[in-house]
Amino acid sequence: MPRALMPRALLRRMRAALALALLAAPAAAQPVTAPTPALAAELSVRRIEVTTAFTGAEILVFGATERLIAPGGDEVVVLVSGPATSLVVRQKVEVLGFWINGPSARFNRIPSYWALAATRPVTEILPEAERAELRLGLDLLPLPQLGSQGPQFRAALRELKQHTGQWQDEARPIEISGGRLFHARLPLPATVATGAYRVQVLMVRDRRVTARQELTLDVVRTGTAANIADIARERPVLYALASILLAGTAGWLGSVLFRRG
Amino acid sequence: MQVYLPIAEMSVDALLLLGIGFGVGWLSGLFGVGGGFLLTPLLILIGIPAPVAVGSGANQTLGASVSGLIAQWRRGNVDVRMGSVLLVGGFIGSAAGVQLFAWLRRAGQVDLAVAIFYIVVLGTVGGLMVRESLGAILRRRRKKAARLHEHFWIHGLPFKMRFRKSRLYISVIPPLGIGFFIGVLSAVMGVGGGFMLVPAMIYLLGMPTSVVIGTSLFQVLFVTANVTFLQAVQVGSVDIVLTLLLLVGGVAGAQFGAAMGTRLRGEETRALLGALVLSVAGALLWDMLRVPAQLFVIGPVP
Repeated sequence: MPRALMPRALLRRMRAALALALLAAPAAAQPVTAPTPALAAELSVRRIEVTTAFTGAEILVFGATERLIAPGGDEVVVLVSGPATSLVVRQKVEVLGFWINGPSARFNRIPSYWALAATRPVTEILPEAERAELRLGLDLLPLPQLGSQGPQFRAALRELKQHTGQWQDEARPIEISGGRLFHARLPLPATVATGAYRVQVLMVRDRRVTARQELTLDVVRTGTAANIADIARERPVLYALASILLAGTAGWLGSVLFRRG
Repeated sequence: MQVYLPIAEMSVDALLLLGIGFGVGWLSGLFGVGGGFLLTPLLILIGIPAPVAVGSGANQTLGASVSGLIAQWRRGNVDVRMGSVLLVGGFIGSAAGVQLFAWLRRAGQVDLAVAIFYIVVLGTVGGLMVRESLGAILRRRRKKAARLHEHFWIHGLPFKMRFRKSRLYISVIPPLGIGFFIGVLSAVMGVGGGFMLVPAMIYLLGMPTSVVIGTSLFQVLFVTANVTFLQAVQVGSVDIVLTLLLLVGGVAGAQFGAAMGTRLRGEETRALLGALVLSVAGALLWDMLRVPAQLFVIGPVP
């Protein structure tokens, strides 16, 4: 539903963002103390709805910078992180010829979704210390590990999360048009967690982050899917009885229908 | 057409689910069993988490057994007394099974336990069925009459009870024990247990074949209802959207299967069913023996 409207709305917002960036530059040039707000960024949608027909979506971040986006000019970095989650990574081991779940490590409070995109590889535009401080890179993401120790669990977590598309480490660069307009498309897989997503847009100039903007995106379950999940969680007894009744009725109804046909 | 499953928290192709439901329903109509033993592994195979596959599989079996039970009830083929005794065992067994399942989930060994249960149970039952039905086919060729029914020592245990419909006067301990065992399997494997209950009633209890299917459906219906309830309340793993999609395909398939089943002979049907059960067990065993493609798996914190 919002997808059909996107192109026009997007164009309008991009134009507004560009106008904002152009206006911001001379206005901020007069007072000496205030830094120039040289970056304007926006999201195409602020709310993604997970319905029963949800098959994944895309986070579209767009905006404009004051100077040209080019080597030596401005660079843009976009970092999206989803609500925190806890996961268990299990290693399969061979016991008497059977492959079973062996040692496991638990990772608490890690992002359920994490995506990084930049106009150029982040390692080229920012020094190591700055990257580590802002956690720009999957290898710089803190992953506190409980249970079994060893780097193989962390490596497996990174690999598996990237495989499912829930973590994306500069999978696609930010696209630039007209020298100053940028847009980043970050796919959200169908298995995405619901909650608040934090979108950070950073502008890099002379190997330093000179401007930043923070946006939020809500991923919410709506419609039938949300109702079913809510009832199942909050009223499990009612949900259980309803499931039994519904399955029984469906079985009976189906047999009546097909016997006649 | 993709559809989002609210409890499994993933989207799957609705047509795929309808197709699986139809195929399993067709086989269950053909062989007169619920088909849960095929459904749960298939769901796990397409990526549904094992707890959701087990919980929703039990719920689907409940729906699928309703129509069969109504038909058998009308013909007077349900021994309610025997069914009730089996059910008492079944309720206790399924409650114990759900506890076992919750414990395995915490220990992180659900996948292994479900797979082992399937391999052992399906392997044994399939092997016995193939052997028995091949024997029956050979006997028919030799034109030897089989014995009507046999009495074992277990029938002589105390607490005897008369089961009129089944024309039996036996101890309640064996049916209680069988009911308990099927209840545990039902909770851990997400099956109704019909494929085990039917041979157990014929060969262990010596019930006449005419009331076996109806009585087993009676027991399956209530045990799967109990498993659905406990899984939904304790584990929270029953996905009603998944269940209903499977049922729509399943009920349609069952009618076609039943129509075709009347054209097959009893022994041949049992031999085919046995071969099918054995091949599912073989496929699961192979899956555990081969080197996994991924040496690590991620899962939610139990």
